[in-house]
Amino acid sequence: MFFFSQRKFKFTPLYFSMCLLIISSAAFGADSVFEKQVAPILQKHCIECHNASTKDGGLSLENNQGLIAGGENGRVLVAGAPEESMLLDYVIGPEPEMPKKGAPLSKAEIETLRQWIKDGAVWPAGVQIQEAQLSQTDWWSFQPLKQPAVPQFSADETKQIRTPIDAFLLAQLKKKGLSFSPAADRRTLIRRLYFDLIGLPPTPAEITKFVNDPDPRAYEKLVDQLLASPRYGERWARHWLDVVHYADTHGYDKDKLRENAWPYRDYVIRALNEDKPYTEFLQEQIAGDILQPHSPDGVPATGFIVAGPFDWVGQIEINERLIEKKITRNLDRDDMVMTVMNSTVSLTVQCARCHNHKFDPIAQEDYYGLQAVFAGIDRADREYDPNPQSADRRKQLLAAQTNHQQQKQALEAKIRARGGKQLAQLDEQISKALKAKKGQGEEYGYHSLIEETDKDPKWVQLNFKQPITADRITLIAAYDDFNNIKAGFGFPKRFKLEISDTNDFAATKTIIADHTQADFPNPQTRLVNFDLKGQSFQFLRMTATQLAPRSNDFMFALGEIKVLDSQGGNLAGQATVTSLDSIEGPPRWSRLNINDDKFYHSADSNEDLITLKSERDQLFTNLITADEKNSLKTITAELSRIKQELGQLPELQKVFAAATHFKQQGNFKPTAGEPRAVYLLSRGSEKAPVKEIEPSAPKLISGLSGTFQLKEPANEGTRRLALAQWITNHDNPLTWRSIVNRVWQYHFGKAFVDTPNDFGKMGALPTHPELLDYLAARFRDEGQSLKALHRLLVLSTAYQQTSITHPEGNQIDGDNRLLWRMNRRKLEAEAIRDSVLQVSGKLDLKMYGPGDRLFVLEKPQHSPHYLYQKYDPDSAERHRRSIYRFIVRSVPDPFMESLDCADPSQMTPKRLETLTALQALSLLNDHFMVSMSAFYAQKIKAETDDLPTQIKLAFEFTLGRPPELAELDLLQTIGTQHGIENVCRLIFNSNEFIFID
Amino acid sequence: MDRREFLMSAGGGLGGIALASLLQNDRLLAAPQTNTHTLHHPPRAKRVIQLYMSGAASQCDTFDYKPELIKENGNPWDPGEQVQLFQSSPGKTMQAPWKWQQYGESGKWMNECVAPLGDCVDDMAFIHNMVSKSNVHGPATFMQATGFVLPGFPGMGAWISYGLGSLTDNLPTFVVLPDPRGFAPNGAANWSAGFLPANNQGTMIRPNSQTPISNLFPASNNFITRQSDRDVLAALKQLNQRHEQERAGDSRLNARIQSYELAAKMQLQAPQVLDLSNETKSTLKMYGLNSTDYEVQEGISEAAEIAYFGRNCLVARRMLEQGVRFVQIWSGADNGFPRRNWDSHEDIKRDHWPLGRGMSIGAAALIKDLKQRGMLDDTIILWTTEFGRMPCSQGSKGRDHNPFVFTNWLAGGGIKGGTTYGESDQWSFKPADPANPTMCYDVHATILHQLGIDHEKLTFRHNGIDRRLTDVHGHVIKDIIS
Repeated sequence: MFFFSQRKFKFTPLYFSMCLLIISSAAFGADSVFEKQVAPILQKHCIECHNASTKDGGLSLENNQGLIAGGENGRVLVAGAPEESMLLDYVIGPEPEMPKKGAPLSKAEIETLRQWIKDGAVWPAGVQIQEAQLSQTDWWSFQPLKQPAVPQFSADETKQIRTPIDAFLLAQLKKKGLSFSPAADRRTLIRRLYFDLIGLPPTPAEITKFVNDPDPRAYEKLVDQLLASPRYGERWARHWLDVVHYADTHGYDKDKLRENAWPYRDYVIRALNEDKPYTEFLQEQIAGDILQPHSPDGVPATGFIVAGPFDWVGQIEINERLIEKKITRNLDRDDMVMTVMNSTVSLTVQCARCHNHKFDPIAQEDYYGLQAVFAGIDRADREYDPNPQSADRRKQLLAAQTNHQQQKQALEAKIRARGGKQLAQLDEQISKALKAKKGQGEEYGYHSLIEETDKDPKWVQLNFKQPITADRITLIAAYDDFNNIKAGFGFPKRFKLEISDTNDFAATKTIIADHTQADFPNPQTRLVNFDLKGQSFQFLRMTATQLAPRSNDFMFALGEIKVLDSQGGNLAGQATVTSLDSIEGPPRWSRLNINDDKFYHSADSNEDLITLKSERDQLFTNLITADEKNSLKTITAELSRIKQELGQLPELQKVFAAATHFKQQGNFKPTAGEPRAVYLLSRGSEKAPVKEIEPSAPKLISGLSGTFQLKEPANEGTRRLALAQWITNHDNPLTWRSIVNRVWQYHFGKAFVDTPNDFGKMGALPTHPELLDYLAARFRDEGQSLKALHRLLVLSTAYQQTSITHPEGNQIDGDNRLLWRMNRRKLEAEAIRDSVLQVSGKLDLKMYGPGDRLFVLEKPQHSPHYLYQKYDPDSAERHRRSIYRFIVRSVPDPFMESLDCADPSQMTPKRLETLTALQALSLLNDHFMVSMSAFYAQKIKAETDDLPTQIKLAFEFTLGRPPELAELDLLQTIGTQHGIENVCRLIFNSNEFIFID
Repeated sequence: MDRREFLMSAGGGLGGIALASLLQNDRLLAAPQTNTHTLHHPPRAKRVIQLYMSGAASQCDTFDYKPELIKENGNPWDPGEQVQLFQSSPGKTMQAPWKWQQYGESGKWMNECVAPLGDCVDDMAFIHNMVSKSNVHGPATFMQATGFVLPGFPGMGAWISYGLGSLTDNLPTFVVLPDPRGFAPNGAANWSAGFLPANNQGTMIRPNSQTPISNLFPASNNFITRQSDRDVLAALKQLNQRHEQERAGDSRLNARIQSYELAAKMQLQAPQVLDLSNETKSTLKMYGLNSTDYEVQEGISEAAEIAYFGRNCLVARRMLEQGVRFVQIWSGADNGFPRRNWDSHEDIKRDHWPLGRGMSIGAAALIKDLKQRGMLDDTIILWTTEFGRMPCSQGSKGRDHNPFVFTNWLAGGGIKGGTTYGESDQWSFKPADPANPTMCYDVHATILHQLGIDHEKLTFRHNGIDRRLTDVHGHVIKDIIS
């Protein structure tokens, strides 16, 4: 982390190999002045902006043609005449115009250029200058894993060594004259272990049991017990989800809901609890749908690749022909590449999107090779069978269904042939009518005001200028996606229809229809007709006597009223419209929409179709023989049996995952498994494709080829599988170091490599390289069990030390990089919320399933509004562990955010810790905290009436120890004056609750 | 967390300038230094107000005068190239629905729609060749707010908070006043701290809501009183101090004790800042406010725009007076129906008039008010929007997106008034000099420059990259600074 960085990375020639492509150099040796002296200057200072694709100022210095052509301001060079050459003017002087970025040219470099121009500016034919590319792979993280020997110590010192970890750490400590601190007491240890492994505090009973356990293996037993708890997966899944930037909404502009993201979150919890070997864990997440398509884990695991944001507007609304579409796809794949590579091998490959990586040996070509791996998938909901048996059966049934449908069609065709012209004509008419437009325009209809009960009658009426005579009234219900109601939106449960000659319906009126005594079935898209029998009237009123439900309220809406004369002509348009009230929100909602002849069209509302179908049915019955009738009956029965059995199979599961097949949505179309072409893009710009790129992995580890041997390169799944195998290859040292480093960080508060997503040259160096390698190799070779790794770490002496400082340690190693004491942990947002729920007696331990919405959702149709202040924190359905929160990308939960929870817009390998006034205000005043303080008090009061005992209980439940006398006094004053609720609130805000020793 | 990180994240209490100097010297107890010593160069400004028109405000109906559009009004529009629009195909050439007039000594042409700003043109600098990288609201809004089209990057206010720290202990450094109808595209992500420490994020304040600052005071309950609050905080401090004494050497423990004291100060100060009752009648009138209260409505109306924007501008001035460093004011919410932002695809006249009047009355009042209080000299005002609108019509009355050209203006804080920099072409379709457009990077670099910061040196290492507000771009626009 730099602030006002004064240090700039210096490009030293050592790090680069010059890439001068020499195609033909017959006339000049490769040692020509140009190649040896001039080209390096142009490459170093100019080519980044003045290459054939960027051509800043119209100038390319990539080859001789570009040099001769010059730029927007004309010729840049006159051979033999340095004084007339603008090229030189640009780079000389006290404040040279060029280079725009970076340091000016040195005097020697300018002199070289001048001399070269003077000598005729010879540029050998075929010589091209390209951007420098890093080729040096001599970097610690790319080296094979070593298996360092465990340091040996004297018998006396060996007492301090519980695991090999301690030997490595102690060796370093001793060099600095330090050693381990004494062990923490059991009360501290159990609290540390609980929060670390399961993210919840131990109960006073659990503490007492452990503190008094005479078994010398008591600590080990506790570790095993916690690792076996399902709570472990819930705690540690959160760490992984931070890294992969998981959320339950798409992010970007509209931030729409991602309703089926959670099965991936559940997969991670399950996988950790089952302790899947790490190779399996990674391979499933990258290509689980290829490895085990019909399993509970295979498909959901690939939610990993797509966990990041989805540009809804760019993917769905933007037209294929706009350049923005390509940009959207490029950025979408970029996020996939970043997610996979940063999290698994800690490589910031995304830095090579626009140019060769400036610090690591990753060329643009390597980067686009990785984009090509993901070129066949999109982020979308996909369905899967949770087991192979049901998948097989479904396949059989669907085949049988197709077969029977074909039989039926063949038979029907035979019969139809007999129907001659008449039937053909009817069929054609029907098919035409079926193809008639469906849906509606922008004008939905009339919408009343919204009421809290359904008892407020509402009316809408048509007012004609003079009396009319009509035969029929037709009502068409409104259609709106709101709250998923769709067809029949707002159609009243009970209503009446009246006509009158006075507009107030006071004196004379005739009731056409009275449905005020019993519920009227919602007509959905069907027409609701009422016979008028040629009556005359001037005013027509529909009164809803019982309103339709909406979400938590009620209203009356209607799509259209038609008033038909004896010829079938619609007279309604001649009338003006009035209503008791109306939400005027044109174009969708306006009372004027009720007689505009614009309504929701469907087969149901198409009157021609209804007549035609009945005619056809009649005709068809007369054409069929008895045998055929029987056959048809058999086939129909079989089809319905198949349908029934399909219905009985385990339901297809749905998850937002890597998808090749899904329903097209707007301009968002699936690839059907055929990868899209991926091009190397100059400057990362879609406007400047250079060449098509084949899928591959980076080539920076010696002995591990990045080239894929694909049997079916066109099958996108094989690409992902190949990458998964490259990542989990025994000889890929990055993968094993990466995960061990992360796990260490979460246990000890600080990683060996402080940049867990970046093991490149811009990342940090490991503090304990040998220990890191020892752990990585052991993890890789001994079953790849994360639980075994946790066990090894927490059983160490280092982990069990006290967190208390001492002056000597502070002076020598103030940041405790060497671990002469344990680090004190500041509780994470989730651990705070979960602990508050648990001690208040409210924690609901139900696992899995859709996320809990700790907000009220408004206006989900367009851009959903997520209103956190509006949800009820008392509500029992909102008291599960925080891992089950529904996570919104654009509007983070303000409570959790103030406590530094991860921002899912970015990958979070390590959370920042802050201590701010807003954080204090959240813990004091947020409705969740206030509500839980009250619940906590309630729970305590149920135990005893005695205030001192109440305070002792409240203190011990949360902080794991009884209060000291002075503390008790302090709290008793508060309790006496302001009640136990305020004592509970105080304890939740104490430093001892937030910081774990 | 090591000391460096801890200092970065503790924020508030120490004040960023001091923090920056501590880090630069890498000594924990460096002698106090003056601002100019720790900044990259002497600053011209201390504070910033960003006025953000959400939905894409039309440049050719407000500040970018084009006689060609008046001349060719109603004729087919032919810019000599094929134009792919976001929603529609190009309609006819369309002039602004209202009249143009020259203002001030600089003689700047402005449209009637924003005429109240006419009095201020000699304090304003216009940039008419702004270009956006995206013509989609979400990414483009991110770009003007954070400098990137992708989510996850810190807002300009967060960068400035990170770079300069706080001027006060009693209020947040970076305050956001959203449109009362709702958030612009991307919501709160527009003012997030991104990867910067969380204390740099924008604090949202909703002046007219029941809880203007979330969690400033306890949620409704039946056990907390003013007295209990005071007593609990006092007891908490004692409890925390006992705890700290047994755990020497962990400065976080004391920082957390301090954070509760800061919270208490904020509880006192914030309501005072939001209380407009002691503003004079004439001040209120200048901001177009008849009363200090209003009802929030769904759509757009002139009265509502004046009430929302004027009030937010007045609150912003009061915030700056109390030491807030960066205020972001939004005009316009998301893209729902009825329209509640500047995205006038259907009807410029219907929506831009009320929005333009509301904005210009509030903005003009803000400029004049700051000036009369001597604060305009060191306060920069930036007016921006995510992109512009087309010189041709959409339907017959609206305009489609124009990412190729739009307008920004700045005022105060050493900005040269009465200037126009970077012309658009004769239609206000693209920059007059397409090879040299102005982008948000340049505007951001200029603002940082005025604040005493070299935009290339204000960096933060994230995921392997030294991130900057200006990415790898940006030039200070020397022509608009005095």
